[in-house]
Amino acid sequence: MAEKEKLFGFIDLNWRLEITKIGLVRKLFKSRWFPLALLIFNLFIFVIILMSGFIGGYSSGNYNFGIMIVWILWWVLLMLMLVPGFSRAWCLMCPFPVFGDWFHRRRLYSVAPGKHRGLNLKWPKALKNMWLLNFGFLITTFFSGFFNVKPMATFVVLGSIIGLAFVIGLLFPKRTFCLYLCPVSGFIGLYSQFGMAEVRRKDPEICRNHRPKTCFVGNEKGHGCPWLLAPYDFNKNTYCGMCMECFKTCPHDNMAFNIRPPGVDLLVDSRREPKGLDEAWKAFIMLGIAMMFFLTFQGPWGFIKDMVRATTTGGYLKFVSFHAVFNLLLVPAFYGLFAFFSKLLSGDKEVPFKKVFINFAYTLIPLGLGVWIAFSIGIILPNGSYILHILSDPFAWGWNIFGTANFPWTPVLTGALGYLQGITMVVFYLFSIAYGLKLARRTFADETKARRGWIPVLAFLTVITVGFLWLFLF
Amino acid sequence: MKRNEIIAVIAFIAATLGTIAGVLAIEGFRRNRLFTAELVARAPEYGNFYPQTLSVPAGEEVRLMIRNIDTVTHGFVVPDLGIAVPQIKAGEVKVITFTADRPGTYPFMCTVWCSARHLEMGGRLVVK
Repeated sequence: MAEKEKLFGFIDLNWRLEITKIGLVRKLFKSRWFPLALLIFNLFIFVIILMSGFIGGYSSGNYNFGIMIVWILWWVLLMLMLVPGFSRAWCLMCPFPVFGDWFHRRRLYSVAPGKHRGLNLKWPKALKNMWLLNFGFLITTFFSGFFNVKPMATFVVLGSIIGLAFVIGLLFPKRTFCLYLCPVSGFIGLYSQFGMAEVRRKDPEICRNHRPKTCFVGNEKGHGCPWLLAPYDFNKNTYCGMCMECFKTCPHDNMAFNIRPPGVDLLVDSRREPKGLDEAWKAFIMLGIAMMFFLTFQGPWGFIKDMVRATTTGGYLKFVSFHAVFNLLLVPAFYGLFAFFSKLLSGDKEVPFKKVFINFAYTLIPLGLGVWIAFSIGIILPNGSYILHILSDPFAWGWNIFGTANFPWTPVLTGALGYLQGITMVVFYLFSIAYGLKLARRTFADETKARRGWIPVLAFLTVITVGFLWLFLF
Repeated sequence: MKRNEIIAVIAFIAATLGTIAGVLAIEGFRRNRLFTAELVARAPEYGNFYPQTLSVPAGEEVRLMIRNIDTVTHGFVVPDLGIAVPQIKAGEVKVITFTADRPGTYPFMCTVWCSARHLEMGGRLVVK
């Protein structure tokens, strides 16, 4: 990163606030109870979610614990708070891979000496990217019309993820499932590049001189990086699950948990962590899915809802086909047109089109996250009050644990919803623009070419933003 | 270290198997305290009330749990016994308790115009 590079002209991109300088926080991160205790608590919640889907849950979505917690509360927390604020913090407390971890490590709490259990096969090199995550998440959204109304659908999808995580754990090492297969991991990884928290090594010199590389191979205090990263040398959040094992294994206390300006990782492009088409496509898919979700679940078009919810087989097949083509081809093609004009207008004959296409695709990360935050606001404000009901009666058995089972549906601030969504869009559009020009400078040979090449991409971002503003406000 | 490992395993089991066992035990205890019947409400096109015939003991306090698994509002009434739940919203579970003293067969029905076949939405409550 260039010296003193600034965001909006005043936010120093090299600024960091190291939270682990606080003794209590470092002590917490070095404890083996962290994040295990958090993970066990979430396991308890997910057991209730699965139970509510399987035995308690044949009531429709709004009164079902699983649907409300997963698709309303968890999703909103993820998009509104966890990803933008704490990057991949969800992954540190996610209970899905715990069964596989326990099998591998032979211990739940402590660190057993010796090799990990399981076949520990090598994951194919061709699949060490986001492509499977892209297809996996897209395929999951084919069933989105059922998840929020059929508790059993939520049970099946979560049960399948937990089962698959365990099976993959038997075959492949460590967190292979999280890295390359978990449908949630892909978009969290992508958007955590914008997140305001990071785990990084402090002094590179200490790492260079520390030959045993215990952060990678592990020691008696902790496991070698479960995410198969080299904690002593990485600069991007995408594949760091923030499991905090490196805090435990580093004998020099050379790992830091930092708060940082949003979006710093968007500028990272190195041999070890290159920008790629897989991440670009993830950005397209997430933007396209957000648009489809908004039209389906928050728009007034009943015929789209009918198609997504499979009222007729033909309608559903049309939705699946269009949804796939729209996200995999149409959105990238539309973007590609602007990327093509960018190269043309820049007059830079040396720069390959692929580089222009990939680099500018990262401008969609702030915008895409903004769209998802806006969508999430549109979920929580009208539906949040149902959470009080389901906390009291999680299995739809007529329980009233906290006395809130009869709390009436109370939409909050829905009159201002469109405006809140619109403001969110504009704020994240500004972030996209701020990073877009920086990416242009990294793409083209000189300032003039960068400024000229930036214009078509700016136009693309503006068209997308105006389109969403129209959807939110009119 | 060993003690912590045992605590972690116990916490893990409590969070998984313990939760399942605990929840089922609590519900089993609740249902045993009162005679509990469960009725599922759906518009006739999608299955009608289920079961169609509900049997309850005479002279005993009964808990009736009516689950609306439909996407429209239903109602529930047993006119001969003076039992009425005017509104059960989509996805809602209403729990009522009553004591039916007179043995016999009483019709129950939906009171909200829920579909084109609303008038067919009903069943029988057998008190014996």
